[in-house]
Amino acid sequence: MSGILRLLLNRLGISLIVLVGVSMLIFAIARIIPGDPARIALGPNANAEQIASLRAEMHLDASLPVQYGHFVADVLRGDLGMSLYTNRPVTQDIAQFLPATLELVFLAGFIMVAFGLPLGILAARHRGRWQDHLVRVIALLTVSAPGFVWAVILMLLFAFYLPLFPIAGRISDIYDIERTTGFLTIDTLLVGNWAAFGSAVHHLILPAIALSLSGIGQAARLTRANMVETYEKPYIEMAQAYGFFPSRIARSYAFKPSLIPSLTIIGLDFAAMLGNAFLVEAVFAWPGLSRYGVAVILRKDLNAIMGTVLIIAITFLIVNIIVDLMIAFLNPRIRYSTRGAS
Amino acid sequence: MSILHIKDLHLGFKTLTGHVDVLHGIDLDIAAGEKVALVGESGSGKSVTARIVLGLLQETRTARISGTVQFDGQDINAMSARDRAGLRGTEMSMIFQDPTSALNPMFTIGNQFTEVLRRRDPKLSKAASHARATTLLDEVAIPDPARVLGAYPFQLSGGMNQRVMIAMALANTPKLLLADEPGTALDVSVQAQTLTLIRDLVEQNGTSVLFISHNLGVVREFADRVYVIYRGNIVEDGPTDALFANPQHAYTRALMSAVPRITGAGLPEVPEVSDDFLAPRISHGGAL
Repeated sequence: MSGILRLLLNRLGISLIVLVGVSMLIFAIARIIPGDPARIALGPNANAEQIASLRAEMHLDASLPVQYGHFVADVLRGDLGMSLYTNRPVTQDIAQFLPATLELVFLAGFIMVAFGLPLGILAARHRGRWQDHLVRVIALLTVSAPGFVWAVILMLLFAFYLPLFPIAGRISDIYDIERTTGFLTIDTLLVGNWAAFGSAVHHLILPAIALSLSGIGQAARLTRANMVETYEKPYIEMAQAYGFFPSRIARSYAFKPSLIPSLTIIGLDFAAMLGNAFLVEAVFAWPGLSRYGVAVILRKDLNAIMGTVLIIAITFLIVNIIVDLMIAFLNPRIRYSTRGAS
Repeated sequence: MSILHIKDLHLGFKTLTGHVDVLHGIDLDIAAGEKVALVGESGSGKSVTARIVLGLLQETRTARISGTVQFDGQDINAMSARDRAGLRGTEMSMIFQDPTSALNPMFTIGNQFTEVLRRRDPKLSKAASHARATTLLDEVAIPDPARVLGAYPFQLSGGMNQRVMIAMALANTPKLLLADEPGTALDVSVQAQTLTLIRDLVEQNGTSVLFISHNLGVVREFADRVYVIYRGNIVEDGPTDALFANPQHAYTRALMSAVPRITGAGLPEVPEVSDDFLAPRISHGGAL
């Protein structure tokens, strides 16, 4: 069995255990917080019998372990239950809202890497000089304000005072695009509507930047710190002693060994964007899963809360596995671990 | 004519609290094809001297360098950073103390070799560089060059990496080779092989060597001429035989008595500082 495959199976196993733990935890928390979900669902005009019958339907009268057992059995059948808030199956809600959030998070993650890493490389290469100071100030600035603050600032500057971008929503109302994947940037291309694609991208830019800014700062700081350490290594002095170009040393000889420790954290930052998206989505009226999550928590919509948290946990774990695989692939020591030293 | 001519070289570092002087006027000459050793204890200034010759310390903003360092007739200190970089890896190259940590862990030997060869010939193709590297690895007695070129440094033994580094250092037939305590990180038998290998190759190519070491036994075997450095000053210099036969300076004598004997007389006492050590330079001649 190759090292990578073994690593993958190992990580999948661990992720499954984590997932069970997360589901138990959120299941317990959702039932400990006060308030009767059946009463909230039925509204103030419901009578006692109606509430009692809904409670029975939702297994709310059974003991917690029994309730959890019902929940797991349902999940395994692909049934996350009905949402009391939207009155639709939770799976259907998630299928509708998750792509919107993923679209946002993917673009934000891409922006984070595309700007954060080069800024970090630049700072490390010119460590102690003005380029370094500039990058560090920018990074500190972006890290110290949360995404929703940037969302408000960017919206004011570039959507309100300087109306370069739309204020809210995913796409202009004039387009009616058939939902195939739920990703508007993909669906518009599937129907070949370039104008609609442009509109979808146009709507994505500001919220994605707002979401990515603190990640950019984080990635830049991390890359810089790891690279500055790498610059002290003998193999960098060797590269300098052979007269390799400083830009090449920075981009290749110093960056590659530094990427591995940075990547773990960048992966976590990326996954954390799902959570940070809550407020950014709220500011930009982005119909995503995070906004849905807030709405259902406020209404104590148990099934929807469980479903949302489960999906976010799964996304987190998938990102982690991908990062682990990338690290394994980048690091020759892990890649060749099964071959042994020769 | 001399390949390397160092005259009155001073080096200081600017620190937060003031100024630290490291070299106090070094004079050193290496003729074409000559193997010269610079011997001294840790912190004596021998490694920084090599880094000034390479033009690496000149890039450090806290370093203050004055004096003449002529390499092949050109003053290194007066050159632009770009010109200095142009000499590195082509006209001069360096062998490092620990070969395994001096090779980049993320790239194969073949990859790193190609980079080195392209310093001389930027348009060299992958296939051509592979062929050339194979020949060069063959010359340093590496048994299976193709396998070594495809390997990462951590997959090879320290001795093997050392040979790779020697092959790289001499790949572009430099005029001057700087060797900073080569093999110190390896065990003694491998170290001995390393030195023999370097000696054979540099004699074959007519390469001049500046050999930096704290190990007098090694120096005696390897060098034509020796400079002893103590606290940033050359205290004694001369042809290896003359200097070992008749060490004059108190520090040289202390250094020689500090070499552990296989007969087991215990480790000799060497004082940390002694006024005698600061006595003026003694030269046995022999330089050009």
